[in-house]
Amino acid sequence: MSAKNEKKFNVVYGEAVGAVAAHSFGEPSTQMVLRTFHSAGIASSVVTGLPRILELVDARKKQQSPLMTIRLDKSYAKNYEKAKQVKAQFEEVLVKSLLENFTEDLKNVTMVLEFDKEKLAQSDLTLKFISGKLQAKFENIDAEQEGHSLKIKYKSKKEMKSARTMFVNMRNFAVKGLQGIKKATVQQDDDGEFYIITSGSNMAGALDIEGVDKEHLYSNDMFDVLKVYGIEAARNMIANELKKTMDEENVSVGFRHIGLLADAMTYGGSIKSAGRHGIAGNKASVFARASYEETVKHFVNASVFGERDPLKGVSENILIGKQINVGTGRIKLAIKKEDLKKVDAEK
Amino acid sequence: MQAEIIDNIRFTTLSPEAIKRMSVAKLIVPDTYNEDGYPIDGGLVDQRLGVIDPGLKCKTCGGRAKTCMGHFGHIELVRPIIHPEFTKIIYLLLQSTCEKCHRILLDENQMAVAKDAIETFVTSDDMDVDRVAETNGKLAALTKKLKSVKKCPSCGAPQQKLKFERPTFFYLNGNKLKPDEIKDWLSNISNDDLKLLGIDYKATRPEWFILTSLLVPPINVRPSITLETGERSEDDLTHKLVEIMRINQRLEQDIDAGAPQIIIDDLWELLQYHVTTYFNNETPGVPVARHRSTRPLKTLAQRLKGKEGRLRYNLSGKRVNFSARTVISSDSSLTVNQVGVPMRIAENMTVPLYVTKWNIEKAKVYVSNTSYPKSINIITREGSRKRVNDTNQEDLLKEIVPGYIIERQLVDNDIVLFNRQPTLHRLSIMAHRVKVLPGKTLRLHVSAAFPYNADFDGDEMNLHVPQTLESQAEARYLMQPKYQVLSPRNGNPLLYIEEDEIAGMYLLTKDNSYYTKEETMSMLANLGIYEMPKAEKNGMYSGKSIFSMTLPNGLNFESKNKHGKVVIKNGLLVEGIIDNKLVGEKGGVLISHIFIEYGPDFNEKFLLNIAKLSLRAAYIYGLTVSVKDYYLSSKIISERANIIKSYEAKALELINSYKAGKLESLPGYTKKSTLEVLLYATLGQARDTAVQYLNKELNQSNNAYLLASIGARGNILNMVQMSMFLGQQSVRGKRPTRGYNGRMLPYFKRNTKDPKSKGFVTSNFFEGLTPTDMYQHAMGSRDSQMTKSLVTAVSGYMYRRLINAMMDFYVDSDLSVKDANGELIQTLYGGDGIDPTLEVIAHQKE
Repeated sequence: MSAKNEKKFNVVYGEAVGAVAAHSFGEPSTQMVLRTFHSAGIASSVVTGLPRILELVDARKKQQSPLMTIRLDKSYAKNYEKAKQVKAQFEEVLVKSLLENFTEDLKNVTMVLEFDKEKLAQSDLTLKFISGKLQAKFENIDAEQEGHSLKIKYKSKKEMKSARTMFVNMRNFAVKGLQGIKKATVQQDDDGEFYIITSGSNMAGALDIEGVDKEHLYSNDMFDVLKVYGIEAARNMIANELKKTMDEENVSVGFRHIGLLADAMTYGGSIKSAGRHGIAGNKASVFARASYEETVKHFVNASVFGERDPLKGVSENILIGKQINVGTGRIKLAIKKEDLKKVDAEK
Repeated sequence: MQAEIIDNIRFTTLSPEAIKRMSVAKLIVPDTYNEDGYPIDGGLVDQRLGVIDPGLKCKTCGGRAKTCMGHFGHIELVRPIIHPEFTKIIYLLLQSTCEKCHRILLDENQMAVAKDAIETFVTSDDMDVDRVAETNGKLAALTKKLKSVKKCPSCGAPQQKLKFERPTFFYLNGNKLKPDEIKDWLSNISNDDLKLLGIDYKATRPEWFILTSLLVPPINVRPSITLETGERSEDDLTHKLVEIMRINQRLEQDIDAGAPQIIIDDLWELLQYHVTTYFNNETPGVPVARHRSTRPLKTLAQRLKGKEGRLRYNLSGKRVNFSARTVISSDSSLTVNQVGVPMRIAENMTVPLYVTKWNIEKAKVYVSNTSYPKSINIITREGSRKRVNDTNQEDLLKEIVPGYIIERQLVDNDIVLFNRQPTLHRLSIMAHRVKVLPGKTLRLHVSAAFPYNADFDGDEMNLHVPQTLESQAEARYLMQPKYQVLSPRNGNPLLYIEEDEIAGMYLLTKDNSYYTKEETMSMLANLGIYEMPKAEKNGMYSGKSIFSMTLPNGLNFESKNKHGKVVIKNGLLVEGIIDNKLVGEKGGVLISHIFIEYGPDFNEKFLLNIAKLSLRAAYIYGLTVSVKDYYLSSKIISERANIIKSYEAKALELINSYKAGKLESLPGYTKKSTLEVLLYATLGQARDTAVQYLNKELNQSNNAYLLASIGARGNILNMVQMSMFLGQQSVRGKRPTRGYNGRMLPYFKRNTKDPKSKGFVTSNFFEGLTPTDMYQHAMGSRDSQMTKSLVTAVSGYMYRRLINAMMDFYVDSDLSVKDANGELIQTLYGGDGIDPTLEVIAHQKE
């Protein structure tokens, strides 16, 4: 049985590769830990282990610890001071973090922001700069400077509600740095090159910052990657993150299984979760959906819209007692008429 | 051999006419049995609906309890009732149509867009995806807007505010809409308008959502049970139906008697309540209907739903015949492909023997046998089954002709499926050859236990006998362990040798292990090898050469492990020690090499040989572990005190620098939490130091250390915990803190950072734990137990989701991956089209 030709290693027709991939994830996942780890260097804790796998498989919009790894351009990479300069452009400085106090007057739709002098100096900001930024971002406002405070008036007197949400948004606005980047740290790798790790992800913003190596920007937030680099990049990111997490737990799973899951989540052009709102919930078969979750809902809707269950998948064929359509179940064997005659002749 | 194959199944709603067509009886009496215990005609157990009592005959089909599958009946509702499951779609329809002319609230332009969208939607196969998405988007935008339309574009009637209140109430501008009003409204919506909303009018007319007659399921669906006392206990559905009928009757009487409107409305609402809970007793906003014993009733929706519901419990999970289950135990004289089956099981399980002219003589032997192995049943050509007994044996023997099927008892070498739960991967079900053995347990080879994740501490396993030739062939040629050596997860072998065998293998193949001629002969004879390897100096035989006897001739193989290089040249182990990495859990590269190059049968033999050989070697060595191996020598005791002292000093240093305010905080931590993190990390290293010390101090003359160091069983950390100290305990990844106020136990000082009062356990298992140490250790143990049980629950659900998402994927003939609808998932499986089990090998070849 020496293996000379390549074909020998090929998968066989009909192999239920999806089920095999799911087995490969599910069987060892009981050995994984359910704890998030604090990693030194980065401010926030990093989600690892089973919770991270779940986060990826569920395609959660808000993940617990979004991170970006930013490599620097060659001229910056070896220079700590320059790296620090780049880093400073990342960390967001929210308006509310600079405040000493604020008052809202919703009747007159005005808000007074009292800034802390020291904090302003620390982040190297002036009131003028802030009011300019705010006016550029939010329409229909007037900003008046009074000492260390900024009096903001909402010009269009439409609704109290919209003014209120606007004021909240204003206080959560990043005057400096990138929106959503809570913290950035400069790290050094084994080659002595400096790079930046940020907690929070904002790829679109990171690309605009000078000194960032645009070809080696990495984020672990799949929707950010999808938005900036597209579905193929998101697919690779999901696969790599899954692989990384599995490796960290010392669980060895072949990359083909991980890749298949990532492809299953992304082949439609958008990121779909593996749960009831994603791949499993969008199956063509009514029975497959009903036997998974939300049984009654699926039957009721099927009857209203006159759905037809094509009975092509595994679940529904098990349900009605037919042979399933994967593996050896796909093979149909027939005998030639001539050969059948031979058998008869022997009789 | 499927006679009728279901091609597809269509879902529709039942119209009142359809209900009447299906119904065999109009039920009028809200009761079940009369005083004599006889079913009341027109009652809920009317005999026209089928029978379940033995002896009675069905009045519709004339069948008996077992042959009649039951017939539907119906109840005429005096007033229409809203079907509670359809309220959402009713609400949508009411919102989307005019309250006056009942036309859809779209003007002509919008209508054109919508029509276009529907058409693209229906014939989307040959359309490009973008267009479908675009038109769908337009349609969605249109339908979304419908509820905010103020004036009907068709008749100009102003639209009043519509409100829906759970569970079944609709208000138009604050006035309650009665079900009959809603029914009129819905029945006036035209088919064309329904089409625009995506509703298939052939499947569903919206007025059918308002029930005028209620379908009553046959009694087979809601059988009553007779208690020991002779009392009858009716099914929950029957109870609910009785109530519906009772209220329905009262409502009718009140209407006939001309009762005031309020009373009628109240009853009407009560009827609505009962119908609602009849369909779904967990409808939000409705009080749960309860049994007399306050147990909530299990009505229609509850029967279908969830893990114990009809779909998952009865339809996706099926019960089978021809299966057996009992405790498993090990048997090293079986091969990995065999399963030892107790006589009791073999006698009771049957395999069909399809009689042909070629095997008719063999078949007759089974029939004529009066004891094992005999035949249990014979099945004639017509399909009638006859039990073989002493009286009819002779006749049956003459009767048998080709085409008959004989159900004979299980014999050696029959193929059976063997399974252990939880069935987490495909190797949890494999096919084994039967070996009938005395005893009462199922037996399997120790090496075959790993893929099942089985051990022999009381585990039970299941056995299934495939009943068709196709399934037997499939099991025999695809599912036997010898073909399933490599894991589909990562390509590493799943059949390998473990524990004592690894130790024996080490002892056998390590340098300078020599055996006398007698020893060599006994070892090899045990494998059935009657040749001798080449003798070396003074007539001794080296372990390496003995091991080489199991290798295939001409094998050339090279590998590396932690003992150094391993070289096999021309079928002889010239250099290196065989360990875990070559034949065990840590890769088993030699096994996978032999499996690929020499095939499953040789590999099976090889595996059995090395298992037997290595055990012999361990036996000759006299491998055993005793308390002595963990004995505390004075040297160890003093070193233990040193290690503990040095780590306590380190901790104190940290605490002091914190107190002096010199401690630099880690990014994102406060000073206090930095101290905690550092203390936890530092004290955790104490164990590692102790491991290093033991590694230096002990050598392979200590058998416990030998086993741990070569990876046969246990690790050095276990030894540390037994003979030195347990080390830092952790609760939730931190030092344990909870307990009393500011301290864990009342024996400690309050608010101290002292290692010993924060889970640094310095006693060991050999000497025993001090009371405080035992508490701290128990806290750590409890924490890890709790997390473990939580992980199984969480990962189990993730597994279910993944399986449901991916189970339809298959590899097509061009090696692409497709789902049930033929949609392309991957163009080439895994990027290379390689079988997952052969992944490692294939990449080595490159």
